[in-house]
Amino acid sequence: MIEIRDLTKAYGGRRAVDGLTFRVEPGRVTGFLGPNGAGKSTTLRMVLGLDRPTSGTALVDGRPYAALDRPLCRVGALLDAQALHPGRTAAGHLRWIAASHGLPARRVGEVLTLVGLAEVAGHRIRTFSLGMRQRLGVAAALLGDPAALLLDEPVNGLDAEGIRWIRELLRRLAGEGRAVLVSSHLMAEMAVTADHLVVIGRGRLLADASTADFLARHGRRRVRVRAVDPAALAALLATAHPDAVPCGDGAFDVPDADPGRLGALAAEHRVVLIELSVAHDSLEEAFMRMTSDAVEYRAVTA
Amino acid sequence: MNARADTRTHPLRAEWAKFTTLRPLWTVPFLAVALSAGITAAVQAAYGNSDTSLTEDPMEGLYYGLNFGQVAVACLGILLVGQEYASGTLATSLAAVPDRLRFYRAKLLLGAGLGLAVGLVTVGCQLAATAATVGLDPSDPGTARALVAGVLYHPLLLVLCLALTTVLRNQTAALGLLSPAVFLGTTALAAVPGVREAARFLPDRAGQYALRLADTPGTPYGHTTGLLLMAAWTLAAAWAGLRTLRREDA
Repeated sequence: MIEIRDLTKAYGGRRAVDGLTFRVEPGRVTGFLGPNGAGKSTTLRMVLGLDRPTSGTALVDGRPYAALDRPLCRVGALLDAQALHPGRTAAGHLRWIAASHGLPARRVGEVLTLVGLAEVAGHRIRTFSLGMRQRLGVAAALLGDPAALLLDEPVNGLDAEGIRWIRELLRRLAGEGRAVLVSSHLMAEMAVTADHLVVIGRGRLLADASTADFLARHGRRRVRVRAVDPAALAALLATAHPDAVPCGDGAFDVPDADPGRLGALAAEHRVVLIELSVAHDSLEEAFMRMTSDAVEYRAVTA
Repeated sequence: MNARADTRTHPLRAEWAKFTTLRPLWTVPFLAVALSAGITAAVQAAYGNSDTSLTEDPMEGLYYGLNFGQVAVACLGILLVGQEYASGTLATSLAAVPDRLRFYRAKLLLGAGLGLAVGLVTVGCQLAATAATVGLDPSDPGTARALVAGVLYHPLLLVLCLALTTVLRNQTAALGLLSPAVFLGTTALAAVPGVREAARFLPDRAGQYALRLADTPGTPYGHTTGLLLMAAWTLAAAWAGLRTLRREDA
């Protein structure tokens, strides 16, 4: 289990990570979300002892990372998929990491097979695509068979098949009882992968909830209605639900409405409906709304 | 079967594996030996018997190729650390071996070991290549001293460059600064009258004085002290490297 308590990292006067507290529990995939520059990578680097926190602590199984006897058997991490020496082969890269922990040479073959790189084990990394480098990074993280995994933007550069592969891998690893923390700036991807979400913006914690709870709280429900006679529906909604939004083709979106009551209301006024459906805001929209104040660099619209 | 549980990390094994899995690294020691021994042998073959002035100090003839081979030795020191900064693997290295002292110590040990191996082979080859022409006097204690110093010069130079690269934290900067300095910089400095006195104390100049038999007039230290001066530089650099590594975010 990974426990982050009041973690802060300041560069000069700017706080990249600001009083962050959360836990990464075993047995589930925790999505670590935030816009670019929110402090996700810095947080992960502090967990691994690469960057020194200004204050606060990050503990792995109750101890700082640097105090672990064989750290790669506790925590496997993928930080930057491009941080590989292009002159090494895939197997060569894993071999030196394995050597640092006295892991048997067969582990290298095992993890290469697991990530689907067995056939290119002897190829130099300079010939690898970004997707293949991501897979190699995942292989390196799994080398020590760790109980916790930290993956920074692992779906970057992966194609559709690769994204599905990593999603299933993460779910399987969590299913085996491991603690899995996956950072991403893609909310939609996390919605289908993560059980739990930790959302940060400008280094601060914005949300720490299960994906379902997060959606229920931040994703608004809306009811879409469409009538045979759009003008009659418009007249009815104008008085009963002034917040209804026309969405083309004679249909309206009614935020936070009850579909049963809306249907009854239409029947009462003899408005014949041809569509009545409930939709939730996508997680992406919830995320955008939540982090809109916390986005570091916003494009200025002229 | 080894039933004993492995409970520690093995930084030196990791460093050795890094070295053997990267061709631009493991070829450099061979290049160093080839340059040093090859150029010494070639020059001896061409001029050894005809031009005796070349061997006024017999060690000058023996170590002639070292002027070129030492650049490869310096580059090896730079690359052993620099490639981690250049490729970004330092984060992975420190995740595998979080104790930065143990990590750095393994780097220094591998560097010193490789330097010693290169030094032994190089001096051995140079000795063989010049045996017929230079005419060393085995009974002269200076001969043994100059040969031992020739071997030790290699690990000292290699570790010095490795440590300074750790201080600079940048392979390109280290290559840009150190290799010309080793190749011609300090020699050029020694040619400037006012600077010459100070340049004598630079690590490679001091170290190379220990490789000579003849005294250079005006040198304020002896041959053996020259090597010790170089060792002091190397120690200081190693300490500065550790300080940088411990202080900075990786």
